[in-house]
Amino acid sequence: MDRLLVLRCPDLLDEDEDGAALRSFVEVVDAMEAYCPWITTVRPGLCSLPARGPARYFGGEGALIRSIVGATSDITPVEVGVADGLFAAVLAARRGLVVPPGGTPDFLAPLPVGILGNPGLAELLARLGIHTLGDFAALPASHVLGRFGSDGVTCHRVAGGRSGELAELRQPLAGRRLDEQRRGGRPDGAPRRATVVDEPGFWGGVSDTDVRAGRSLAAVQDLLGPDGVVTARLQGGRGPAQRARFVTWNAREPQEDSTLGAPWPGQIPPPAPVVVHPTPLRAELVDARGEPVRVSGRCLLTTAPGRLSVEEAPWAEVTAWAGPWPSDERWWSRSRRRSARMQAVAGAEAYLLLVERGRWWVEATYG
Amino acid sequence: MFVVSPDRRDVDAPPPGPSPRRSLDRERDLASLAVLAERTRPVSSSQTRLLPVVPPLADLLPDGGLRRGSTVVVTGLAGGGPEGSGGDISVALALLAAASGTGSWCALVGLPGLGAVAAHDLGIDLARSAVVPRPGVAWAEVTAALIEGVDLVMLCPPFPPRPAMARRLVARARERRSVLVVVPGRAGWPEHPDLHLGVSDMRWDGAGTGEGYLSGRRMTVTATGRRSAARPRHRHLWLPSATGAVAEDATGTGTAG
Repeated sequence: MDRLLVLRCPDLLDEDEDGAALRSFVEVVDAMEAYCPWITTVRPGLCSLPARGPARYFGGEGALIRSIVGATSDITPVEVGVADGLFAAVLAARRGLVVPPGGTPDFLAPLPVGILGNPGLAELLARLGIHTLGDFAALPASHVLGRFGSDGVTCHRVAGGRSGELAELRQPLAGRRLDEQRRGGRPDGAPRRATVVDEPGFWGGVSDTDVRAGRSLAAVQDLLGPDGVVTARLQGGRGPAQRARFVTWNAREPQEDSTLGAPWPGQIPPPAPVVVHPTPLRAELVDARGEPVRVSGRCLLTTAPGRLSVEEAPWAEVTAWAGPWPSDERWWSRSRRRSARMQAVAGAEAYLLLVERGRWWVEATYG
Repeated sequence: MFVVSPDRRDVDAPPPGPSPRRSLDRERDLASLAVLAERTRPVSSSQTRLLPVVPPLADLLPDGGLRRGSTVVVTGLAGGGPEGSGGDISVALALLAAASGTGSWCALVGLPGLGAVAAHDLGIDLARSAVVPRPGVAWAEVTAALIEGVDLVMLCPPFPPRPAMARRLVARARERRSVLVVVPGRAGWPEHPDLHLGVSDMRWDGAGTGEGYLSGRRMTVTATGRRSAARPRHRHLWLPSATGAVAEDATGTGTAG
């Protein structure tokens, strides 16, 4: 989790009618930008910057804070705090604290659960006799999900200092309006109505269903890491593994690939296999007498397939097969090798086999 | 070695003659029209009680579609290979296809090697489908989180689920009005589902002794369930057909039993 410095301007947290607060905050942000270009405006009156790099440059977090306070306190009263993650850093700023690296869970532990800003959850926890973030964080994650849902999981991670992001903490619209202000586009500070309309959906989606699904998928990414949720894109290619690519799920990514419709010589006609093994499975293919089946230099089988065993599973009788077809292409190894593909029906399953240097592999299963 | 076996595709294709094919075509046209009508409708809202299912499979379901909040378990023919056993994944994907094609979100949990081309050919909209290939020990939590916001969740449990875990997921699906499609494979599923689809009599066509290509698979799918679905229903299907979609096997060569 990022070590963040948060600057809080208690007088500028609420927007006023004439936009004076917003304009003052813009001045604060401009002044801070002299120290660090990566400032994020969290919401009006609150901004953050990654502390690690600037602190090293200015000679420690204390020195960095002194410089920032010196540059901004002429404009408005400010509070500064440093901690791991946004949530803890905001709380630290309210108390003017620097929480030592790794000390965030201990800093959060004695605080009341109500501070998470989820009254429903706080009430439920209170009924269970759980009053502090530390007690809440001590609950096993699996129970939290079962009982409190994905919102509960987010809060649980925040309570344990494992994440600093609560949905309610950030106000992206305000950040955007601030940027507009700073570019000098709207000197009067009145927010343009249009920005609300053309604000893209947070998940890039348009419908309610997309938003709901996006939230769920994000919760899973919280649990497993971003790569835990992927989505498939089709593309051109010969083998089944080349015809699709999995990318980390992100609602903003553009869809589909254009090479899909292009004909690819050497492609095996549909139907396509339902399971494409991420790493091919080892297989053994023998004839009726138990002699290994090989493919000759002219891509002919040396003997008729009789039995197949996949990953040392019991032998299954091969009842039908098609191929082999030469596939002279780069496979999972970098070097170019001669290989051939073959379809085989064995037992209750049909396989796409690949043979290379006399060894058989299951590349895909028709499942 | 090069014994030419009769090409099944030619035998099974309806003769190019006039009458029987006409009525078949018409039926198919009507079916595709129905699908089109479904597609042009706005994104399936959470208000509708049923999620659409492609025609030959829909006949198996007591309501003609997937009831929101229900759990379906799909099992394949015993003796299938590792990761994907005897048609279960195909049936499960086919079950999701129509709803996915009409705007519902799908999530596939515990399927490390989804054949994306096959899923696409079955009618699944990949842009609205998310895959959690390896949920690991957190599979139940992951599934629970997905049930909250995704209409259709297909689960291949990587480990045998404990009964309490399964019960909780079923209850959550009911509460959130999502459809949970479980492909238990070897892990098993300890709960009695609302609907069970089982595969029997599977036969691949198109391949012989070296010639041809795999062109399609016939299978018999049997549905059993609770209450209105208590009496088993059978359908003979091509899954996949030569185009990779699901189609009715009009010849009904399966010997359902």
